[in-house]
Amino acid sequence: MMLDTSDQKNFVAKVDDLKVYFNSKRGTVHAVDGISFDVYKGETLGLVGETGCGKSVTGRSFLQLLPIPPGVLAGGSITYNQQTNSSQRIETGSKPGFPNSRNFEFKKVDLLTLTGEEIRKIRGDSIAMIFQDPGKSLNPTLTIGAQLSEVFLQHRTEEILEMAGLGSEAPGAIRRFASQRNRIFDKWLVNLSGNRLTKSRVEKAVADLVAKALSDTQVPNPVKLMDRYPHELSGGMKQRVMIAQALACNPDILIADEPTTALDVTVEARILDLIQDLQQRRQTSVVYISHDLSLVRRICDRVAVMYAGRIVEIGTNNEIFKNPRHPYTIGLMKALPSADTARGELLAIPGNVPELINPPQMCRFSSRCAFATDKCKNQDPQLEKVTNSHSVACFADVAEISGK
Amino acid sequence: MISKKDNVGQPILSISDVAKHYPIREGALQRVVGHVRAVDGVSFDIFPGKTVGLVGESGCGKSTLGKVVAGLTDPTSGSVRYNFNTQLVSISSLEKNKFKNFRRNCQMVFQDSFASLNPRHLVFDIVGRPLKVYKEVSGYDLVEKVVSLLNQVGLGREHLYRYPHQFSGGQRQRISIARALALNPEIIILDEPTSALDVSVQAQILNLLNELQKARNLAYLFVTHDLSVVRHMADSLVVMYLGKIAEAGETQAIFAKPYHPYTKALMDAKPSFDEGQNSKAKGLEGVVPDPARPPQGCRFHTRCSLATDKCGWEVDDVVRWLEDTPGMFESLTAVERKSEFSAVLSFSDESSAANLKQEMRSEKLPASMRKALNKVNINEKNVQIEFEPVEEILLREKDGRHAACIIEPKKVNQEA
Ligand SMILES: Nc1ncnc2c1ncn2[C@@H]1O[C@H](COP(=O)(O)OP(=O)(O)OP(=O)(O)O)[C@@H](O)[C@H]1O
Ligand SMILES: Nc1ncnc2c1ncn2[C@@H]1O[C@H](COP(=O)(O)OP(=O)(O)O)[C@@H](O)[C@H]1O
Ligand code: SF4
Ligand code: SF4
Ligand SMILES: [Mg+2]
Ligand SMILES: [Mg+2]
Repeated sequence: MMLDTSDQKNFVAKVDDLKVYFNSKRGTVHAVDGISFDVYKGETLGLVGETGCGKSVTGRSFLQLLPIPPGVLAGGSITYNQQTNSSQRIETGSKPGFPNSRNFEFKKVDLLTLTGEEIRKIRGDSIAMIFQDPGKSLNPTLTIGAQLSEVFLQHRTEEILEMAGLGSEAPGAIRRFASQRNRIFDKWLVNLSGNRLTKSRVEKAVADLVAKALSDTQVPNPVKLMDRYPHELSGGMKQRVMIAQALACNPDILIADEPTTALDVTVEARILDLIQDLQQRRQTSVVYISHDLSLVRRICDRVAVMYAGRIVEIGTNNEIFKNPRHPYTIGLMKALPSADTARGELLAIPGNVPELINPPQMCRFSSRCAFATDKCKNQDPQLEKVTNSHSVACFADVAEISGK
Repeated sequence: MISKKDNVGQPILSISDVAKHYPIREGALQRVVGHVRAVDGVSFDIFPGKTVGLVGESGCGKSTLGKVVAGLTDPTSGSVRYNFNTQLVSISSLEKNKFKNFRRNCQMVFQDSFASLNPRHLVFDIVGRPLKVYKEVSGYDLVEKVVSLLNQVGLGREHLYRYPHQFSGGQRQRISIARALALNPEIIILDEPTSALDVSVQAQILNLLNELQKARNLAYLFVTHDLSVVRHMADSLVVMYLGKIAEAGETQAIFAKPYHPYTKALMDAKPSFDEGQNSKAKGLEGVVPDPARPPQGCRFHTRCSLATDKCGWEVDDVVRWLEDTPGMFESLTAVERKSEFSAVLSFSDESSAANLKQEMRSEKLPASMRKALNKVNINEKNVQIEFEPVEEILLREKDGRHAACIIEPKKVNQEA
């Protein structure tokens, strides 16, 4: 097998020089312009940065969810180090292939070049995403209960069989049905060799699991909610349904794009607990996109700071928050209102994010940077290591900046 | 002539006992079967040059209150009075011209910039429209005025001829703010204006709002769920829970020492940035109850960790508990109420009834709820339940602070 074992431990995903452009009448928008980072197994990686800097585009790239066109994949790759159970054993028939005696192997795929069919298999299964805008990601024609049941049947087969009292002695036929990816819940049930008792037991188990998942996200009246359609729910409720759905998949990687922005602080704390539970249970890696620095500081192991389509600084939580090196990162933190900032004296970063149309060869932050020099206006700084885990894209003398 | 000092003492808007109930309609005939009590008796004043912060969970009625205050919808009862040349006049009694004048002086920035910006209009039209409607400027000057408004919110000339969907969420919110600023209003109601913004832009906007406030003596009603932002921006704070004020007073004092357990819970749910990596956020248990049937006594009693037996335990608490207990709710067939505090619950089988009776005295229910329970009798499939009735717990004033809680502020802050 051609596996690099050191690599295997290191990352579940490796973004390498990713470039996503958007064609517009006025030129090509370099929304994401050559970014590279790894996502380690089980970690929470925060992705922060100003609005429009390319966080969502980066997140969506993992699942080929970009609007193409007008979007253009202009280069790079996202290698997904997929852990798969070896199906060879079942096929060669040496032993019955019970899922609990799975044999794992790693398969590296480039998420950007997978076919539609292949990426659909990964989407919502080994990689799940919670969207900033929950409206579009639920199926408007299915009740909440029906769409969640589908997901649970796909991903929690074992648990459901267990709950239905069909655990270990479930006949192979049911198992195979269970692990199949049938679209419609009812079809799946009808196929259960016409066994009405089994059917109602499975149905009940799924319903219980769905109700539990919904009530975990603190939606009011989860049981009633299951009969409702997405358009009947408020934004915050849709968001929580989507979270329940994403968590149900037990994914390897969860891309959470501002998952709690539409929610109350009291619920947010709860949702974060749920995500952390999942992480502990399944070693899920979370890419947490947010502009809430206090939240990112609280929950993330590592943080990548994006600016104008680039990562300008990446490091561990402590490195970023206690020892920030990039003037933009430093500026972000100074901009936060704290208990003793006088009103009207927040240290805003002056100016705006530059247009991302055909950006010139220079530091993209230079128009707003207090430390900019001629060099910054003529050359484009690249990410360089300060420590093994901490990289910064800036020409300036760091000591001078932090001394100020 | 009134002296300057008197003027400071006069509110620009006075909200008194405002309620807004939305009818709930059901069935083919759309009969009204109840009311959502989105806002249920709220009073406070807004002073020129000052900011009132309004916080609370979603669905507690903040946006509804904002819309009532802005005159975009009429209150069911109570009044919003606007200061016309030192006279407080109810805005619902204003004649057309004066109402127009009020509306122009009282602008609103909405929470959802997707919904509030017409997707078919260019930024130029969106921001320029109020100026055109009120015939402020026209022609070339209009373009320049719009550009200057855009500049004020961190956008520029290059954005004039684009549609809202071409902007990110944060950029769209800036457009909404530019539109609200266009007519130089006296009051701006800001409904979560920076929730969609990143911190550096938020800092720009907050600084900008502050500058504008100083320069024009603007009054703000600042609706937000971000406590670090209200703490920074608001002179006084109104904390709402389920349509009512839980606590109100001077902002810094409330942060130093909340008098209401709900305020405390909000603060604990969102540690500030300075509290660092290992700070633990404490979520609030349970959900916001249905605003169509707000809880008795203190509306917060269903989720309050400090609740006492005097806080309003009622029949609905039993029903809510049954709803959350799988298996039990299905066998509940009827609830016959004598009052909010006394009822007979009927079940489809005797074992469920027996089960309820047993659980009512078990540790699964909060001790304070059990203490408030006067009676629980079983008769075959029926369980009679009676709680000690209590009056609504009203706002009380203490040291210039209003709080609707029966326990001592000291106790609220004791709990770790
Ligand atoms: N469908 C699209 N068509 C054209 N341009 C787009 C499209 N989607 C995104 N962009 C552009 O790509 C850039 C990055 O957008 P993205 O949505 O990733 O920002 P973001 O960092 O997630 O911002 P926010 O914090 O507001 O969510 C922006 O300049 C945006 O205008
Ligand atoms: N137009 C409406 N019709 C019926 N109910 C409404 C309407 N607008 C708001 N509500 C209800 O009123 C309550 C308060 O809503 P809202 O003021 O939007 O809360 P907030 O802004 O605090 O999140 C909620 O229960 C909401 O569902
Ligand atoms: S490279 Fe120059 S302009 Fe860019 S952030 Fe560093 S100092 Fe500022
Ligand atoms: S009155 Fe005070 S202690 Fe009682 S439930 Fe309400 S907030 Fe809690
Ligand atoms: Mg985004
Ligand atoms: Mg609102």
